[in-house]
Amino acid sequence: MNIYICIKQVPDTETKIKLNSEQSGIDTTGVKWIISPYDELAIEEALRLKEKNTGSTVTVLSCGPTRVVEAIRTALAMGADSGIHVDLPETADNNLIAKALAGAFKKETKIDIIFTGKESIDDGAAQVSQLIATYLDIPYITVVLNIEYSPQGVKCKREIEGGAFEIVEAPFPLLVATQKGLNEPRYASLPNIMKAKKKEVRVLKMADVEVSAADQKIRFKNFQLPPPKQAGKKIPGDPHSQAKELVRLLHEEAKVV
Amino acid sequence: MTWQTFLFLGVAGSAFGYSSYRFKILIQMMNNHQGKAYRLDHIPKRILTTISNVLGQKAVLRKKSAGLMHATIFWGFLVITLGTLEQFTTTVYQTANFQFIGIHAYSALVFMEDFFTFAVLLAIGFACYRRYIIRPESLGKSKDANIVLTLTGSLMVSILLMNGFHILGDNPWYQGAMPISNIISHLLSYLALSSETSGHISTLFKWLHMMIVLGFAIYIPSSKHLHIVAAGPNTFLKTLTREKAMAPINFEDETTTQYGTAKVTDRSWKDVLDYYSCTECGRCQDVCPAYNTQKPLSPKMLILDLKNNMYRNKDKILERKFDEVSHVIDDNVTEDVIWACTSCRACEIACPVFIEHTDKIYDIRRNLVMMESKFPTEVQTVFKNMENNASPWAFSASDRAAWAEGLSIKTMSTDSNVDVLLWVGCAGSYDDRNKKVLRAFANVLKKAGIKFAILGTEEQCTGDPARRIGNEYLFQTLAKANIETLNRYQVKKIVTACPHCFNTLKNEYKDFGGLYEVHHHSQFLAQLINEGKIKPTKTLDETVTFHDSCYLGRWNNIYDQPRNVIQSLPAVNLVEMKKNHDESMCCGAGGGRMWMEEKIGKRINVTRIEQALDTRAGIVASSCPFCMTMMTDGLKTKEMQDKVKVLDIAELIDQSTS
Repeated sequence: MNIYICIKQVPDTETKIKLNSEQSGIDTTGVKWIISPYDELAIEEALRLKEKNTGSTVTVLSCGPTRVVEAIRTALAMGADSGIHVDLPETADNNLIAKALAGAFKKETKIDIIFTGKESIDDGAAQVSQLIATYLDIPYITVVLNIEYSPQGVKCKREIEGGAFEIVEAPFPLLVATQKGLNEPRYASLPNIMKAKKKEVRVLKMADVEVSAADQKIRFKNFQLPPPKQAGKKIPGDPHSQAKELVRLLHEEAKVV
Repeated sequence: MTWQTFLFLGVAGSAFGYSSYRFKILIQMMNNHQGKAYRLDHIPKRILTTISNVLGQKAVLRKKSAGLMHATIFWGFLVITLGTLEQFTTTVYQTANFQFIGIHAYSALVFMEDFFTFAVLLAIGFACYRRYIIRPESLGKSKDANIVLTLTGSLMVSILLMNGFHILGDNPWYQGAMPISNIISHLLSYLALSSETSGHISTLFKWLHMMIVLGFAIYIPSSKHLHIVAAGPNTFLKTLTREKAMAPINFEDETTTQYGTAKVTDRSWKDVLDYYSCTECGRCQDVCPAYNTQKPLSPKMLILDLKNNMYRNKDKILERKFDEVSHVIDDNVTEDVIWACTSCRACEIACPVFIEHTDKIYDIRRNLVMMESKFPTEVQTVFKNMENNASPWAFSASDRAAWAEGLSIKTMSTDSNVDVLLWVGCAGSYDDRNKKVLRAFANVLKKAGIKFAILGTEEQCTGDPARRIGNEYLFQTLAKANIETLNRYQVKKIVTACPHCFNTLKNEYKDFGGLYEVHHHSQFLAQLINEGKIKPTKTLDETVTFHDSCYLGRWNNIYDQPRNVIQSLPAVNLVEMKKNHDESMCCGAGGGRMWMEEKIGKRINVTRIEQALDTRAGIVASSCPFCMTMMTDGLKTKEMQDKVKVLDIAELIDQSTS
């Protein structure tokens, strides 16, 4: 099988976010970059599928400046076979990224399945997966918790609103966006980390994947940090007066009831 | 020469021949182990250590009754063996006895033999009483022990009967030097045998004695009694210092394709000598915090199981077919066994023959982690935190100096011209309880007028958790980054309140180019008090018990300084828990256990806090951030947090000084 993974490099969850001087995005100096955790589930799923189907290859793609190659190497260390770095500017929006990835996929000879995370943890837009599939005109299943494979395609359990699940079937080729609970991503073994240093990572420029600056539909401006968290308030007294005071605060101060 | 000469030479030749063949195999097994071990430095010191521990039985005698029992048997056999040799020589050539040494010397020798034969018999009697009546858990059941006790007992009885009949039959001139045998001969005289018959029976017991000795020669190589041959060399080759660093792996060497111990043969010949030396005394098991809280690890069983694994693979090892040797993890040495260790090193310190258990466990962990990515699932987050934020806990590296806010502590980047670098550590930086300890210690340093600075956001985890858990690669990444920073500021002197950081900085960074004078804050505080730079004045009218940190105590032999610090407090009453100093019990957080769930058995920290509560102390003093966390949690479990406090020694000093 020809298995593909799309990953995004995002700031580590513990990063103290600062804005850049133009307020058009975050200040990336000193940021520690990681693979978006939902994308790690996609990598793990791709590797498990490969292990079940001998002769399969796993290719990992990522868009962004040169730093994203580091994320690709991490995926290679987990066990992916080769990488493709699509060189896009820091400011690329969801549409440009999706179109560029679709452009990269169109250059591949055969695609059976593409895995992505259900969303990235930085902007949390959850757009790119669907857009890729739409540009490629293939089915997609998002927020997937379980996958059963058959020679023709997949049967997925996906999460929908209200804590309910639905079962969706789709034929190959298709795109699956993974949700937490699908698997536990592995920790790269040292021999694989060493091997990953020698694996091939191809670089594609915007022209190679037939996108241009005009494909960027969104311009960001006036980024704001959320207001600092207020200290918690402890309501003293017996349960009766505590409840009464809580209702008053919710009504008068928080204005939610 | 008689028929006895030829019979003896035939039997002895066969026995020693077979025995040497078995020993040759044992040595071949050692040689065919792939790991490296070099232990031939400091020869004079090694000789002295061997004399005091083998001839002097120093380590054995740390346990009083069992130690004295063993020492009696050991010293007894040294003397009795001379008699056995004489039996051999006189059997070969009748007049080849040892009387040439002179009447007085020979009489003394005979007296010693007679005395020790009886003493050894008493000791064996005590051994039987201990093993079959008291039955300490550490001994377990052992077929080997039954055989050894029966045979050694028979040896002594046969000597006494041989001598008793000898006196009756031959009336030797030296019979006055054999008081015990004289009593026996007196009893035997009631049999009213002729002197000729008595002489024959004496010869019969001499033969019985010699045959048992030769039987031993055959039996030893395959039994726990092998320690009589192996324990001496193992003592000579022991690690000489308390402080020891884990062996570094050279990741730059591209010919290395495997890391850590996957098979017994990945260990070195010294580890095999450890297996051969094990007497199954169970002292290691007695003191193991994991074993004592129902975890699957027993250090004794670990050594025996590794030995058995080696014997199961004997043919493949002898044929050097290492690919076919089975994995070190099996039904006995399970992954749970390997992860249960807290690296407290109580087993190694307790071992009378200096077996090193932790080296084996931690190298197996390396293989599990780096080659197979197998470890308790909760550890993955720890690794990722260390990789991304240089701390085992998920906090931003940019917040590392937040604990010091308002204290106006300098960082090395602003002023590196200081007396000492304060190494904060991750617990001191991020853990709310331990931040207070660091603030207290910083206050004391200021009161003493010490010029110090911190690295601030440039400090990273020392890598200790990664190394203990088996991720040597991650450890080295962090260690090299820290050493680069420390050397850039030309740091000479470091003080830290964390024994884990202390041990790593002091004993392990050396191997990577980091050479510093490292002090634990207990040493530093003790010195400041000694020099009069700080004077505790406020009385502490309270009973305090001190909980030893393993990495301070057993790993670095620092026991007095923290106690001296506590005792400097006016009116303090310092009491010891039952288990203290070398026998202190671990809090349960070492060996990376701090970041693993404790799912099996009773919690170690609860067991330890119960020991602290037994002292009725109002304050449990600690000198380690992990012990602090574990003891505090233990108190909460026992719902004693309102009655008893856990305080760091720096906090005690801060409160008592102005």
